Amino acid sequence: MFSDLEIGVFIDELEEKIQVINDGLLALERDEGNPDIIQEIFRAAHTIKGSSGIMGYQNMANLTHEMENLFDKIRHGEVHVTSAMVNVLFEALDTLKALKEEVTGDGPAVDTSAVVGKIKEFVEGGAAVEVPVQPAAVPEAPAQRAAADSAPVARRWLEISDVEENVIREAELRGFQCYRVAVDIDRDCQMKNVRAFLVFETLQQVGEIIKCEPAAEDIQEGKYDVGFQVLLITKEDADRIKNLMITISEVTEAEVQPVILSSAESPKTPARAEATPGVRPVTPENNALKQEPGDKKAVKTVRVDVTKLDNLMNLVGELVIDRTRLNRFAEIFESRYGSDDLVEAINEISNHLGQVTGDLQEQIMKARMLPVAQLFNRFPRMVRDTAQKLGKEIDFVVEGKETELDRNVIEVIGDPLIHLIRNAIDHGIESPQERLAAGKPATGTLLLKASYAESHIVITVRDDGRGIDANKIRNKAVEMGFADRETADRMSDREALQLIFKPGFSTKNNEVSDLSGRGVGMDVVNTAIEQINGTVELDTKPGAGTTITIRLPLTLAIIRALMVTLGKQVYAFPLTNVSETIRITDQDIRRIGNNEVIVVRDKILPLARLGRLFNCPDCVEDSKMFVVILGSGDKKIAVVVDKLLGEQEIVIKSLGDYLGQVPGLSGACILGDGKVALIVDVRGLVKDLGAEETAYAAG
Amino acid sequence: MAKAMQSNQEEQIVVFQLAEQVYGIDINSVYEIIRMESITKIPRAPHFVEGVINLRGRIIPVIDLSVRFGLGQNQRTQASRIIIVEVSGQTIGMIVDSVQEVLRIPVSSIEPPPPVVNGIDAAYLRGIAILEERLIILLDQDKILMEEEKHQLLQANIGGSQT
Repeated sequence: MFSDLEIGVFIDELEEKIQVINDGLLALERDEGNPDIIQEIFRAAHTIKGSSGIMGYQNMANLTHEMENLFDKIRHGEVHVTSAMVNVLFEALDTLKALKEEVTGDGPAVDTSAVVGKIKEFVEGGAAVEVPVQPAAVPEAPAQRAAADSAPVARRWLEISDVEENVIREAELRGFQCYRVAVDIDRDCQMKNVRAFLVFETLQQVGEIIKCEPAAEDIQEGKYDVGFQVLLITKEDADRIKNLMITISEVTEAEVQPVILSSAESPKTPARAEATPGVRPVTPENNALKQEPGDKKAVKTVRVDVTKLDNLMNLVGELVIDRTRLNRFAEIFESRYGSDDLVEAINEISNHLGQVTGDLQEQIMKARMLPVAQLFNRFPRMVRDTAQKLGKEIDFVVEGKETELDRNVIEVIGDPLIHLIRNAIDHGIESPQERLAAGKPATGTLLLKASYAESHIVITVRDDGRGIDANKIRNKAVEMGFADRETADRMSDREALQLIFKPGFSTKNNEVSDLSGRGVGMDVVNTAIEQINGTVELDTKPGAGTTITIRLPLTLAIIRALMVTLGKQVYAFPLTNVSETIRITDQDIRRIGNNEVIVVRDKILPLARLGRLFNCPDCVEDSKMFVVILGSGDKKIAVVVDKLLGEQEIVIKSLGDYLGQVPGLSGACILGDGKVALIVDVRGLVKDLGAEETAYAAG
Repeated sequence: MAKAMQSNQEEQIVVFQLAEQVYGIDINSVYEIIRMESITKIPRAPHFVEGVINLRGRIIPVIDLSVRFGLGQNQRTQASRIIIVEVSGQTIGMIVDSVQEVLRIPVSSIEPPPPVVNGIDAAYLRGIAILEERLIILLDQDKILMEEEKHQLLQANIGGSQT
């Protein structure tokens, strides 16, 4: 069987080609006859067919084989692209993806027969002209070349060297003809070596084999994929050889192509035979050579396990700690011995080490990044399908695909983006009629953009649809019991719009569509983004459209945090959750029931003494205290800490499987002095305490 | 493993002391032994979890083995050590009173453990090595890390002793 690595490479290639076909189909829909696009899809299908065949994924090979056939017809103008056809092709693409999942073990077995049948209909519907099978030996005029191209030569024929050329010329003088003979053996063949032996035996009875590919020893040991090729010098004609070949059992296909030497050598139409009924001729690959470089898009990459990168990162972390220690020693030396040359040298070394470790850290971080294209490429298809279903016309613009993000971030933002895009199509962009009536172009524009902004990545989803009316939100909020009339009216538009991030809030009236509007949209988006320390902003103008801006950290592994102390220990609050820090005294604390609260700018915030919450024995409780106001979603809480240390960039580390989820903590980080600081799970904390806040607001 | 094969009828154990008693743990599961260092306490973690340490960039949880076994907390001294063990992909540190030596013991000297030794449930023990003049209680390192066992032990500690 194939190793994981080989399967990995195959899957990578498969994903890439599926993407090519996906993009191609979308482009094809807009630009129906574009030969370049057709050619591209054709090649991609061909590549998948080839590699899946080698790997033994027969269903996949069959499916792509049909796709390839259809595109061959299309590119020869025998069939025209229709939207029905594109739909079927998309269906085929989905099947292909399902097959991929079957291979990776993520999905169930897939039945391809239905979609293969559908494609066949298109192929046969347009197949008025059957591929001509010409007598092989007839030399071919250039004019016939086009026809020959469409003839089935899926293979790259073996090359003929100078030496062999001489042999062939000599043989020709003596009235022999040289043929390239390609034989395919049944994939399930148990004794490939025996079949190969039979083929060689048979051929040697009628002529002389002067070359074979793969090497003769390999073939005779059965070391070939599906078939092999030989150069045969014989007096027999091509059809006879072909017949001889296919009478050998388990030979599924045999092709015989005469070799025409010198400048006059042009691709010949081979005689072919098909032992397997129902399998259509393999389409030509006259540009097999040209295709090679295109396939191996010379990006020099290696596949590296992420854990290896993590280990590297840890090692760098150690270096950083050692550097800090070295720094301290340098200081000690300086105070002890004054500034002599040695002390200078140590300082210099320490500084240089600092620079190098900093760079090293950055480079490793970058190695974990992936272009967001990986994710964005999935969307054009989704937009197309959704728009078609809803009868909307949408121009989908994607910008900044090359923007790089940590792979974990990419994984997390996928679903939220799907939500947002579906929302934009379903609720945002109006139907063509409505748009025209409002004086807008019938086709709506949906923009998906990724860009860098300072130390963040900004992802924007913008539509030019109907926008969101703040008053509607207010009414809806009152209706759904999220706020009373008075509160709702007092809210600014901005505040009112924030309501849509509340769990369960939906602007749609009971009409739940298949696509979105189940009322689980925005709060899910918000939660997911917040989980990775990002923020979601909403900006809308009624009638002009809605823009949703997601700000994400460049990486999940490093965040900026506010460092505080509780007793002797250091704790970190992710800065994205910190809204402000204030000082209060005992007098500022009020009580509601058993709970302490403080009032900050007319808002009642539940107050938590982190020292008590964390059972910290050495915490000091003073009458004056530092309070950090933390926010998650629309909830805020105030947390009392001992001291504020300031902001710092920290590398997030997990507490490990053994401890699992510790309530109140989301991880740990290592400080400059090598000690461990704990990262507070603000979301959890706010959730626990913030529940009471709503109660106060209501009461 | 190779070592185990080589010595055939012998195995190597790290011998340590915990609450006046001598214990042994298979050397293959010991990653390293370090001195006591500052341990960051984890609020709201099970009480036998002492906290976490930074072991060259890795965050490693540390448990107090004596608390873990319900033997009460011992005084930390100069001799206290953290034995870092690596079992089934997890790495944790165990605080012990002192580490004494690495010993080769004949497999034949290992006897199955009685149901309760020094108040420790036999489920955590692999056996007892009986050498000429001393007894070494062999820990089953896999059991110490088991999540389920952890909870069971917690229950046992709360409820007094296990039935």
